[in-house]
Amino acid sequence: MDAVYSIIPAGVLSQVFVGLSRTTILFIVASGLTLILGVLRIPNVAHGSLYMIGAFTAFTVTKLFGGGSAGFWMALIIAPLVVALIGLIAERGMFQFLYEREHLMLLLLTFAFSLIFGDLVKLVWGGEYKSVPVPHIFQGFVPLFGDLPFPLYNLFLLIAGPVVAILLWLLTNKTKMGKIARAAAVDREMVGAVGINVSRVFAIVFVIGCFLAGLGGVLVAPTVSVTLGMDHNLIIEAFLIVIIGGLGNIWGALLGALIFGLTQSLGILIWPQFGIIFPYLAVVVVLLFRPTGLLKSTW
Amino acid sequence: MSLLFFVGLFMVCPLTYAQSTIKVGIVDTYTGPATAYTMDVLDGFKLAVNEINAKGGVLGKRIEYTTRDEKFKPDIGLAMAKELVLNEKVDILMGTINSATALAVSDFAKKEKIPFFVTFSKSDKIIGEKGHRYIFNMNENTAMAGKAAAVALAKKPYEKFWIAGDDYEYGHAIADSLWNNLKKLKPQVQKVGESWWKVGEADFTPYITQILAAKPDFIIVATGGSGMVNFQKAAKATGLSQKIPFYQHTAIELSTLKPQEQNAPEGVFGTANYFFYYPDTPSNRAFVDEFKKAYNREPRIGALYGYMTARFIAEGYKKAGKVDTETLIKALEGMSLDSPVGPLAIRGCDHQLELPMYFGVTTKDPKYNFLVAGDIQAIQAKDYMPTCDEVIKSRN
Amino acid sequence: MSRKTLLGLGAGIIVLLLFPLFLPRFYVYLVSLILLYGLLATSLNLVLGYGGIFQFHHAVFYGVGAYGTTLMLTKTGLPAMLAFIAGPLASAAFGLVLGIICIRLTKLYFGMLQISLGSLVWAIVYRWYSFTGGDDGIHGIPIPEMLSSPKSAYYFTLIITLVCLFVMWKIIQSPFGSALQGIRDNPVRSEMIGINVRMHQLLALVLAGFFAGVAGSLFVVVDNTVFPDMLFWTFSLEILIMCLLGGWFTFLGPMLGAAVIVALRTFVSTYTDYWALVLGIIMMLVIFFLPNGILGYVEEKFKRGFIEPEIEEQ
Repeated sequence: MDAVYSIIPAGVLSQVFVGLSRTTILFIVASGLTLILGVLRIPNVAHGSLYMIGAFTAFTVTKLFGGGSAGFWMALIIAPLVVALIGLIAERGMFQFLYEREHLMLLLLTFAFSLIFGDLVKLVWGGEYKSVPVPHIFQGFVPLFGDLPFPLYNLFLLIAGPVVAILLWLLTNKTKMGKIARAAAVDREMVGAVGINVSRVFAIVFVIGCFLAGLGGVLVAPTVSVTLGMDHNLIIEAFLIVIIGGLGNIWGALLGALIFGLTQSLGILIWPQFGIIFPYLAVVVVLLFRPTGLLKSTW
Repeated sequence: MSLLFFVGLFMVCPLTYAQSTIKVGIVDTYTGPATAYTMDVLDGFKLAVNEINAKGGVLGKRIEYTTRDEKFKPDIGLAMAKELVLNEKVDILMGTINSATALAVSDFAKKEKIPFFVTFSKSDKIIGEKGHRYIFNMNENTAMAGKAAAVALAKKPYEKFWIAGDDYEYGHAIADSLWNNLKKLKPQVQKVGESWWKVGEADFTPYITQILAAKPDFIIVATGGSGMVNFQKAAKATGLSQKIPFYQHTAIELSTLKPQEQNAPEGVFGTANYFFYYPDTPSNRAFVDEFKKAYNREPRIGALYGYMTARFIAEGYKKAGKVDTETLIKALEGMSLDSPVGPLAIRGCDHQLELPMYFGVTTKDPKYNFLVAGDIQAIQAKDYMPTCDEVIKSRN
Repeated sequence: MSRKTLLGLGAGIIVLLLFPLFLPRFYVYLVSLILLYGLLATSLNLVLGYGGIFQFHHAVFYGVGAYGTTLMLTKTGLPAMLAFIAGPLASAAFGLVLGIICIRLTKLYFGMLQISLGSLVWAIVYRWYSFTGGDDGIHGIPIPEMLSSPKSAYYFTLIITLVCLFVMWKIIQSPFGSALQGIRDNPVRSEMIGINVRMHQLLALVLAGFFAGVAGSLFVVVDNTVFPDMLFWTFSLEILIMCLLGGWFTFLGPMLGAAVIVALRTFVSTYTDYWALVLGIIMMLVIFFLPNGILGYVEEKFKRGFIEPEIEEQ
């Protein structure tokens, strides 16, 4: 290990790993968004609200199951399902009638949803900060790099990210449903013309996208205070990641999230005062040289 | 046709209250992370108002209030303040947690000659260089918090400091005030580095690892709002709280500690001006009991600000003898009232409420499901407030 | 423009000129706000509805205009009228610069790049505390005596807004405007018949930036404050919503959208603090039933109402 440290200082290595673990949440949320935007062509501004609902639901579920680790694992399964259900209701109730509308009007609609969800969360959960504890096995840290600590929970995230990515890739490339969805993203009329129920496919994709947003919310909950307004923080980052990665492209979302996460954690080392602008600079650079995103997009 | 259509939208009758009341208009943020604090201000205010109205009100009139949610947006906040004064015709303006809004409303209040009680904004410009006759500051500000902490930290053995915080005016102002005052009191302190992250930052691990690598004696962490809990969680997760001591303003306060329950880090230094469990005086206990009965939770810091604002408004008008702004202001200057934390006075020269400031450290307590402040030392107002001369000079 | 429309407009303007004499100060302030937000939304629509450009961070130009005017008023001793021109000129310049960088992209990508660049501008304003006041903003901005009362601020806003609207209307009716709409509908065809697509779009962006800057200066006159939130992407989204809600294929739609949003926000909040919820529900209803925005729907109805009887007569 010391040989490695002589080339790359421990501090930088640690920052790289931290940047990677942050990528997981960004990726999971962005992957849901890229599916919805890429396949259904809906600019889902409410995606952040779904993420927030996932986090708050995780809080409630954790409390229901005793407030300890068992609660968290239950929340990991239940909360994304709740969010997915909300997505299903919204899709069947509203969106399915509006696919032909202008993109911008769909943006207006999802914005309306984000307003409504924001206030509903306040109505249901109130204004106080909520906290979800880190599950027992992940409490504490490992001194991975010299004596620089790496929280165990971040290690969990580091592994969870690629797992989700692989699962999603299998879903979209190896299942029949996935292949239909990818075809429908490119040419929905053709897919409908060969007799496939496009509407059902879209519903499934939408629901999966919402599930992913909720999952992101659950995973982030132990590391932050669950508060109103968490929807706003994430949504613009998610959109930028989706754009630079390529619309509808899962690996693009991963790549975009990596760029975002890494430029931020390394940017802090280079220029502490302005570290926050590095991800935006990266986006500008990518868009200037690869205007349609780094990887192939569906439209 | 369309022009007529939308001009017609204004034929909406505004709400009017009977003239036999004293009307207070509250502009604040009730959406987003700030809500955790502003709810207490409103609830504390309501508690006092209900008590006052039950005893017959002020000069025979009831106190009525109405709230407006500015959603932490200064342009909306200002528009709502204008609506409250010009449309609802309130006698008093109160609010807000957003300093930019407070400054804008303050300017408006000065022009309209309406008293404005600032309840949770911490910018020192409000009562300092932009202060004026119609402003009353019912909470501490960044300059005061920083100086109080400096007074306490100067007595501690730490010399190598790292400064970090939320990258906005609040964070920088507290850090600057703390550091400048600390250097004056203890010239041998050195700054070994700085980090600033965006407001609402969720992941501190990259910053914490950088700080740990630099090995300072002590870290000044200038976070606000949700950053408080986020940083404490990260400090615990990375073990920072056991390796290097750090300070945050309000680290020891209930708003920060209660949500984390038993999982908050121990040994974190902080300053705050209210705890429901300290001082354990009859008046504090009575206040806490009333609050719990009404709202089913212990009061947090905002509750003290809101409660005392209502009490001062009521007593001010009573002493003035009439519902008149200029006499109210004269009555309030120098007025001292009993409060859950002892007698509190509004300083005459600048209209700043003289609050106690406590310095302590987060500690476990078997009585509660959350951590509390331990080793509490009180810092006298005269030690951390700017002098009247300094304030007057900055205003000119 | 038909005679009926002209009469309606005339009546509307007369109402706007006279009502401050009858209604309380608050309404004067409210209409001032609506006028300037309406101007802002219309300036966005110049490139969005008529140009087909996805201008997702229009607030930057508004903010630059406001800050430009403010900094000239507070930091220099130059006459106020110069300051009021300086703001919009600064935002026009920003429009040009951002336009040149972003114009090679289309649609969604243009919008996202603009958001990234705009966020950098926001970050600078937010952090440059000593120059721009940082996140505290700048308050108590000195406005010349004759404009400082609510009524005079209102009339100033009204006149400037009407003039700008007239100018924008003329621009849209001009050959330049027709070319712009042609580019929106079919950029390839337009290029083929010899229209320089890039130049037209750039010019439109500069103009939109300029008028947004005017709206920013008007805000300074009406409210005497500026803050970095004016450049934040959420505000850009709000301006976009005003356009879409009111009807982005009509000229006065954005103005109507601004009026609806400001009025709703003001009056709903006298009843409940959950005004966002109410706004969201109303927006959903509009989208569902009125796909082209409120005014779009009204105009359609109006047009149909006129055409059908004519056909019947034949």
